[in-house]
Amino acid sequence: MPVVIGVIIDRAVATGDLGELAIWGGVLVGVFVVLSYSYRFGSRLGVGALELETHLLRVEVSEHVLGPDGARTGLLPGETLSLATSDAETIGQFLWHVGYSLAGLLGVAVSAIVLLRIDVTIGVVVLLGVPLVLLLIQVVTPLIARHTSDQQAGIAKATGIATDLVKGLRPLKGVGAEDVATSRYRTHSTSARDASIRTAQSVGYLFGLTAALSGLFLALVACLAGTRALDGTISIGELIAIVGLTQFLAEPITGLGETSARVASSFASARRVVDFLRTPPLATFGETVLDEPWPELEIKQMTAGPLRDLDLAPRRGELIGIVVDDTAGSDTLVRLLRGELPPGDRQGSLTLGGYEVDDLTIDSLRSRVVVSQHHVDLFEGTLRSVIDPDGALDGDAIDEILAASAASDVVDLHPDGLQQPITAGGATFSGGQRQRIALARALATRAPILVLAEPTSAVDAMTEQRIADGIRALRHAGDSDLVTIVVTSSPAILAGADRIHLVQDGRVVVSGTHHDLAQHDAYRQAVLR
Amino acid sequence: MSRQLLPIASRAETTRLAAAMLRAHRGPLLISAVAFVVVGLAGLVAPWILGDIVDTVTTGGDSSRILHGALLIAAASVVAGVGTAVSVTYLAKSGEPALADLREQALDRALHLDSIRLEEAGAGDLLSRMGDDVRSVAQSLTQIVPLLIQSLVAVVFTAGGLFALDWRLGLAGLGAAPFYVLGLRWYLPRSAPFYKRERIAQGERAEALVNGVQGASTLRALSREQAQIDRITDHSHHAMTIALDVFSLLTRFGARTNRSELIGLSFVLGTGFLLVREDLTTVGAVTAAALYFHRLFNPIGALLTIFDDIQSAGASLARLAGVALLQPPPTPEGPSPVRSGTFELVGIRHEYVEGHPVLADVTLRVADGERVALVGATGAGKSTLGAIAAGLLTPTSGTVRVGGFTLDTLDPSHVRSGIALITQDVHVFSGTVRENVDLARPGADDEQIRSALGTVRALSWVDALPDGLDSVVGDHGHPLTPAQAQQLALARVLLHDPRVAVFDEATAEAGSSGARELEDAAIAVTHGRTSVVVAHRLTQARSADRVVVMHEGRIVEEGTHDELVAAGGRYADLWAAWSS
Repeated sequence: MPVVIGVIIDRAVATGDLGELAIWGGVLVGVFVVLSYSYRFGSRLGVGALELETHLLRVEVSEHVLGPDGARTGLLPGETLSLATSDAETIGQFLWHVGYSLAGLLGVAVSAIVLLRIDVTIGVVVLLGVPLVLLLIQVVTPLIARHTSDQQAGIAKATGIATDLVKGLRPLKGVGAEDVATSRYRTHSTSARDASIRTAQSVGYLFGLTAALSGLFLALVACLAGTRALDGTISIGELIAIVGLTQFLAEPITGLGETSARVASSFASARRVVDFLRTPPLATFGETVLDEPWPELEIKQMTAGPLRDLDLAPRRGELIGIVVDDTAGSDTLVRLLRGELPPGDRQGSLTLGGYEVDDLTIDSLRSRVVVSQHHVDLFEGTLRSVIDPDGALDGDAIDEILAASAASDVVDLHPDGLQQPITAGGATFSGGQRQRIALARALATRAPILVLAEPTSAVDAMTEQRIADGIRALRHAGDSDLVTIVVTSSPAILAGADRIHLVQDGRVVVSGTHHDLAQHDAYRQAVLR
Repeated sequence: MSRQLLPIASRAETTRLAAAMLRAHRGPLLISAVAFVVVGLAGLVAPWILGDIVDTVTTGGDSSRILHGALLIAAASVVAGVGTAVSVTYLAKSGEPALADLREQALDRALHLDSIRLEEAGAGDLLSRMGDDVRSVAQSLTQIVPLLIQSLVAVVFTAGGLFALDWRLGLAGLGAAPFYVLGLRWYLPRSAPFYKRERIAQGERAEALVNGVQGASTLRALSREQAQIDRITDHSHHAMTIALDVFSLLTRFGARTNRSELIGLSFVLGTGFLLVREDLTTVGAVTAAALYFHRLFNPIGALLTIFDDIQSAGASLARLAGVALLQPPPTPEGPSPVRSGTFELVGIRHEYVEGHPVLADVTLRVADGERVALVGATGAGKSTLGAIAAGLLTPTSGTVRVGGFTLDTLDPSHVRSGIALITQDVHVFSGTVRENVDLARPGADDEQIRSALGTVRALSWVDALPDGLDSVVGDHGHPLTPAQAQQLALARVLLHDPRVAVFDEATAEAGSSGARELEDAAIAVTHGRTSVVVAHRLTQARSADRVVVMHEGRIVEEGTHDELVAAGGRYADLWAAWSS
C-alpha cells in the first residue's frame, strides 16, 4: 500500500494527471479489497483453529482429572480451572502468533524485494537492518517472559489465598479473624503488585526499544533514500514508497519482537499443562472384565497405612459393620475399597470374584462395589436428579429409598418435594440433610456391594435408628444377595448388622454380632457411649 | 432459583472509586501522562520531516537538509523510545498499586460481610470476583490500558499534525470519521449481546469444571464421571461456538473499518491532487499527509477493537467496586464493655420463609460459665438457634444479650470477641499449623500456641509432623483428617478466648470414631466459659450442666441429663435410642 501511495503521489499528485489518478486510485481500492478479505478469511481460519485447540485442551484437562482412574494432581480446584482456561488459551494463542509471525516475515520479505528492485543499496540495508533490530529487541524479551510468569504466579497465589479464606469464612468469622485474614491477603496482593510492576517495566523497555530502533532505522533509510532521490537515482514516487515501506516495517518488527516473549509464555503454559497431564492416576486397573454379577469381595492379609494384616470377607446377603478406632484407618480402608490405594502403598490381596482388583477393568469394580464416602459432594440439579441421575427408578422404588435413608424428611420439608432444586455443594441443606441425600443416592445405585462410611454421623439418634432399620429392610430383606459394609460406630446401625469387625491398631481384634460383642470391653468402649 | 448476588457498582460509583484509588498514586500517573504526550509529539516528527525531504528533492534543495532531517527523526525516535518506556512503567506504578488497594479493600469488605448474606449470594460469586475479575482488570491494566492511551494520543496528535500541515488536508482526513462512526453503530448493538452470552457461557463452563474437580471422587464412586466430562465438554464447546461467532462479527466489523480507511485515504490523496494542481500546497505536504493518515490506521483500529476489552474490564471493575464499596466495618470504640458471660436469648422467633416459623418464641438464659446442650430431632431449629446465638443471623423478632448487652447495641467486633462460633464446617487454611491457629490471635508466641494445642489434644500429632508447628497443612501441604482440622479450630477458640462459645455440631464431621476424642477437646475448651452446644451426640448432653430439648421450634424439656431421663419424656426416648 505505501508503494501505491507513492505511485499516486508521483504519477498523479505531482503531475496533476487525472487519468493516472483514476487508474492508481482503482489499484488502491483493489489492494484494500484484497487485504480486507484475506485478513477476514485468513484470521477466521486461524482463530477457528485456535479456539478448537483450546477447547480440546480444556476437555483433555478435565478428562484427566475426572477420568475413571482419576489423577493425583495435588492442585486446588481453582488452579485446575486456571489450567483449563487461561493456560489453555495461552497455548492456543501460540497458533495465532505463528500465523502472525509468518505474515510479518512475509511482509518484511516482500518489502525487501520491492526495495531491492527500486534500489539495491537500500534493499540490502533493510534486509540486514530488520534482523539486526529484531536481534537487539531479543535482549529484553527473556526478561518479559520471566517477569510475566512471576506475575502470573503472584496473581495466582493471591487468588489462591483469597479463595482459601473465603472458603473458610465460617470458621474465620467464628473467631473474629477477618482482619488477620485481610492482612494475610494483603501480603500476597502486595507481592503480586510488585511482580506486575516489574512486568510492566520490562514491557515498557520492549516498547521503548522497538520504537527507538525502528525510528532510527527509518532515519537511516530516509537519509539514504533522500540523498539518492536528490541525485536522481530514484524518483519522488520511489522515495515515498521507500519511506512509506520503512515506516510500515515498524509494525511487523514490533510484532516479531514480541513474538518470542509470547511464544515463551505459551511454552510456559504448555509445560504446566503437560506436567498436570503427567500426574499419575489415583488407581491402577487391568484389562480383565468380570462377568459374575454377584462377585464376592475378599481382603486378605492387607497391610496398608495403619492397617495390619487385615482380613475381610463378607458373605452374600450380609450387612457388615466395621468399627475402626482411628480415622486414618477407616480412611485407608475406604480408599482401598475404592481402588484408589496404589499397589506400592499396600501389601496383601484384594480380590473380587476371585480376581485381583488390580487386574480388573475399572468398570468391573465400580459396577459391583459402590463406595459412599463420609464427605458429601452434591451436584446441581433437582433432588430427584441427584438421587437418581439416570431416571431409572419408578415412584415406588424412590419412595422406598427415601424412607430407608430418612431423606423423606428433606422431601417433605419443601413445597416442591422431589423437584426441589439443589445447588452445587447443597449449601442450603444442613449437614444431616446432606448426609441423608447422599445416603439415598448411594442406596439408589442398588450396588451388589455397597460401602458406607460413617453414613449417620450428622443425624440424631432417632433418625439414626430409622436409617438402620431402613437399610436392613431395603437391602437385606428375605434371601437378598446384596452386601452392605458400613464403617461406623453407631450402635443403632451395628445392632442390625449380621457381623461386626472391631479394628484396633490396624488389626481385626474381635468379630461377632452386636449382642455377642456387648460384653467385650474394647468394643463397648468404642461403640457404647 | 433467583439469588441475591453481591452488589455491582454503577458506572458513576466505579469511576469515582477508581479515580479516588488512582489519586492516591497520582505522582507516577502524572509522570506517565507527560511521557505519553511527549511520545505523541515525537511521533509527529518523522512524517513531517519525510514530507520536507520530498519537498527538498522536488525543489532540488541541499543534501545537508536531508541529513539534518534524518538526524531529527533519529533524535525524535530516541525521545519516543525513552518516553514509551517511562510512560508504560509509570502507568503501572500508579495503576497496579491502585488495583492492589481495590482488591484488598474488596476482600476486606467481603470478609466482614454478614456470612448469611454471603452464603445467600453464593461464595462462587465472591470467588469469581476475587479471581477472574481481579485477573481481568490486572490483565487490561498491563495490556489494554497502555495500548488505549497510546492509541488515543497517537490519533489526537496525528490528526492535529494533519491539520497543522494543511487545514484542507485535515478536513479531507476528517471526512472518514462518519464512516468509522457508521461502522461502530453497526457493530456495537450486534456485539453486546454476543459478549454477554459469551461471559455467561464461560461462567457456566467454569462452574461445571470446578464442581467436577471438587466432587471427582464422588463422581467416580457413582460412575458418573463421564456425564460430568460431557457436561464440561458441552459447556466448553458452547463457549467456543460463541467465541467464533464473536470473532466472525469482529472481522466483518474489520472490513467496515478498512472501508473507512480507504475512503479517508482517497479523500486525502484526492484533495492533495487538487491542491497541488492549484498550487495551494506542496507535494511534500501531501506526502506527509498521506503518511500521517496511514499512520492512523493502527491506532484507530486498536481503539475500535479494544472497545470490547475495555467494556469487559469495566464490567469486572464494577463487580470488584461493588464489593469494595460495601459498608466498611466500624472501627471499635475502646475495649469491649462485655464483662460477664451471662447469655440470654429472649422471645426468639425466626422465619426463613414468611409464615413458616422455624423458631417460635424461644427463651433461653445461660448463666456465666454454664454449659448448656441443645438437643432434638433434625429440623427442630437447633442450628438456627445456634446461628442466632452467635450473632450470625438476626432473628425475625427477639433479643440476644451477652453480659447484659443486647447484640445490636454492641460493636460488631465486640460481639465477635465476646462470642465464638464453632460449626461442623471444618476448613484447614493452606499454610502452617501456626498460621492456622494464630489467626485468632496474631503474634501469639510458641508457648501460647503449644498450650492451646495441648488442651485440644493436638500436640502429639502436631509434634509428629515433619516441621512441627511450621509444617504446611491444608490443600498443598500435609493432609489433615476432619477431626484434626476441627482440633485446630478448637485451638483457635482457646486463643480467641471468648466469654461465650457456641458449638454447632462441632464434632459431627469427625465421624464417630474421631468424635469422642474431639468431644474431650471441646469440653476442655468450654472450661471456664459460658457455652451452648448444639448436639446430636448425646454424650455431649450427658456431660452438660443443663440439657434443653427442642421440638418443632420450641423448647419442650429442660433439666439435667438425669432429671430428663427420669422424667421419661422426649429426651428419655432420644437417650434410649442413642444408648441402645
